[in-house]
Amino acid sequence: MKIITERFDLKLKCGVRFCGGCNPRYDRGRALEKIKDYFKDRIEFSYAKEDVDYDILLVIGGCTNNCASFSQFNSKLGSIKMWSEDHIDKVIEELEGILLKSN
Amino acid sequence: MLMTGEQYIESLRKLKTRVYMFGEKVENWVDHPIIRPSINSVAMTYELAHDPQYEDLMTAKSNLTGEKVNRFSHLHQSTEDLVKKVKMQRLLGQKTGSCFQRCVGMDAFNAVYSTTYDIDKKYGTDYHKRFVDYLKYVQEEDLTVDGAMTDPKGDRSKAPSAQEDKDLYLHVVEKREDGIVVRGAKAHQTGSINSHEHLIMPTIALREEDKAYAVSFAVPSDAEGLFMIYGRQSCDTRKLEEGADIDLGNKKFGGQEALVVFDDVFVPNERVFMCEEYDFAGVLVERFAGYHRQSYGGCKVGVGDVLIGAAALAADYNGVNKASHIKDKLIEMTHLNETLYCCGIACSSEGYPTEAGNYQIDMLLANVCKQNVTRFPYEIVRLAEDIAGGLMVTMPSEQDFRSDLKVGKNGETIGEICNKYLVGSPAATTEERMRVLRLIENLALGTAAVGYRTESMHGAGSPQAQRIMIARQGNIEAKKELAKVIAGIKKN
Ligand SMILES: Cc1cc2nc3c(=O)[nH]c(=O)nc-3n(C[C@H](O)[C@H](O)[C@H](O)COP(=O)(O)OP(=O)(O)OC[C@H]3O[C@@H](n4cnc5c(N)ncnc54)[C@H](O)[C@@H]3O)c2cc1C
Ligand code: SF4
Repeated sequence: MKIITERFDLKLKCGVRFCGGCNPRYDRGRALEKIKDYFKDRIEFSYAKEDVDYDILLVIGGCTNNCASFSQFNSKLGSIKMWSEDHIDKVIEELEGILLKSN
Repeated sequence: MLMTGEQYIESLRKLKTRVYMFGEKVENWVDHPIIRPSINSVAMTYELAHDPQYEDLMTAKSNLTGEKVNRFSHLHQSTEDLVKKVKMQRLLGQKTGSCFQRCVGMDAFNAVYSTTYDIDKKYGTDYHKRFVDYLKYVQEEDLTVDGAMTDPKGDRSKAPSAQEDKDLYLHVVEKREDGIVVRGAKAHQTGSINSHEHLIMPTIALREEDKAYAVSFAVPSDAEGLFMIYGRQSCDTRKLEEGADIDLGNKKFGGQEALVVFDDVFVPNERVFMCEEYDFAGVLVERFAGYHRQSYGGCKVGVGDVLIGAAALAADYNGVNKASHIKDKLIEMTHLNETLYCCGIACSSEGYPTEAGNYQIDMLLANVCKQNVTRFPYEIVRLAEDIAGGLMVTMPSEQDFRSDLKVGKNGETIGEICNKYLVGSPAATTEERMRVLRLIENLALGTAAVGYRTESMHGAGSPQAQRIMIARQGNIEAKKELAKVIAGIKKN
């Protein structure tokens, strides 16, 4: 039981914030699923809440304007932003980098 | 507390709102097939507030309570808030393909908030505090409120007090120690039956002799003496047909308007926000209309997105999607639609703080926005009808498509005949083709045309009302000066 708890604690906590989706140019939900699938259980993704501390925030905009508000959330390592399907690989790379540093 | 769509629908059942339609009282209006689609549209404003993919537009932090509230009950605190309002409306237009009704309340909140502040400043009244208390209640309960401005108006050439029937503009008939009694009506009220509350405003700028008409207040929709007569829409009774689906074009969603009658309704003092301060009636009208003219740069664009999508599908299903003129027409529709959006975003980005602290849109740009809205949806519809072909108005009913009555020499049924002759390209089944053509019909001349066409014309004021504002704000004199300098004219 103790071991499981420790492993759980090690997981990177990523808060996800979507823009409001007035006219997204791609499927933002599917993009998140792809990123989640890639990391499986190495990163704990959850929708960002104000009273939670995150290691990193992932801000998913639907277009170049990327107008999602996120300054209200707490994150130790700041935020990663994406606004196009083409950014999925870049986001994965950045998150891998953070995982590498935090291990 | 943010209600879910389901909780909102259930909350309506608790109201004893009096509703009449086709000359009769409607007892269970929540489940009435003609009314229910409009309730579903409002429910989406609740439902999407709980979806992480839309929450950023659908919710905001209240400046009054610090709590998360639905943006429809929010006081805009920045130009960013104004922009997000327009984006939220586009989103909801896309999701419902119709008018979702909750905007009039939001626009009324923001207009009454700043105007009551100004009235208090001049007259030492306490309307602003009363309104803030009211709005806190609305935010906490997550209520839908009808922003009710338009009076029936009778003879348009006469002022309210000069009308033969004094009730043609809503007015105060009695002032009591504990409140006022009002009589009159508000016409064309969007979402009135689906609203928990009504927030009333005067309809025009007023003079001293009309001060009884300078009144703003809020009442619950089931207040004693209040009732509503449902406004019928073109093709509305299709919703009463058994198993109706395809022929409705948009089965789930719709808009709603009604005549709201105030048959001597008592309003307690704490819900009165203007009473005889006639010099502020015009200000309130201008501010509400300004916000609502901004609103159309969002909602109509979202509905336009659905119509453009439907036209593009019709082109696919008719097998003409590769034709260059069809592609060009879709480009033109997109261009017109995005131009409206540009106007909505521009008047929001150029917003400014009022003395009360909430943000107001740029009046000139909001009026330009609405002026374009009185035209572009008509052109977008014209192009959609061009692309769709005549079948959108000549197609047999869905019952015919389902009919197994044998009518052909070889025993073919009506359904088989319809399917044989009304098939399009292999890209779609005949049913899919019917569905998209019915959706275009719905938006072009069915129930949704009320919101997409005629409301684009008259809602938030007829075209001339915007031209007056554009004339006032256009600053022609400064433009003359610019021309003089360039042309080398020295005369003042
Ligand atoms: C679908 C729909 C939804 C609506 N929803 C709401 C709502 O939720 N809340 C609300 O308060 N209102 C609502 N409205 C009302 C809207 O604001 C009015 O329709 C608009 O202000 C025009 O008023 P009217 O319909 O009485 O037309 P009229 O005022 O009769 O206008 C008809 C024509 O006469 C002209 N005209 C009118 N008066 C004069 C005059 N004195 N001098 C010269 N020309 C004149 C106008 O410019 C116009 O060309 C809605 C309207 C529609 C169509
Ligand atoms: S017409 Fe547009 S702005 Fe007005 S209530 Fe309907 S959706 Fe909202």
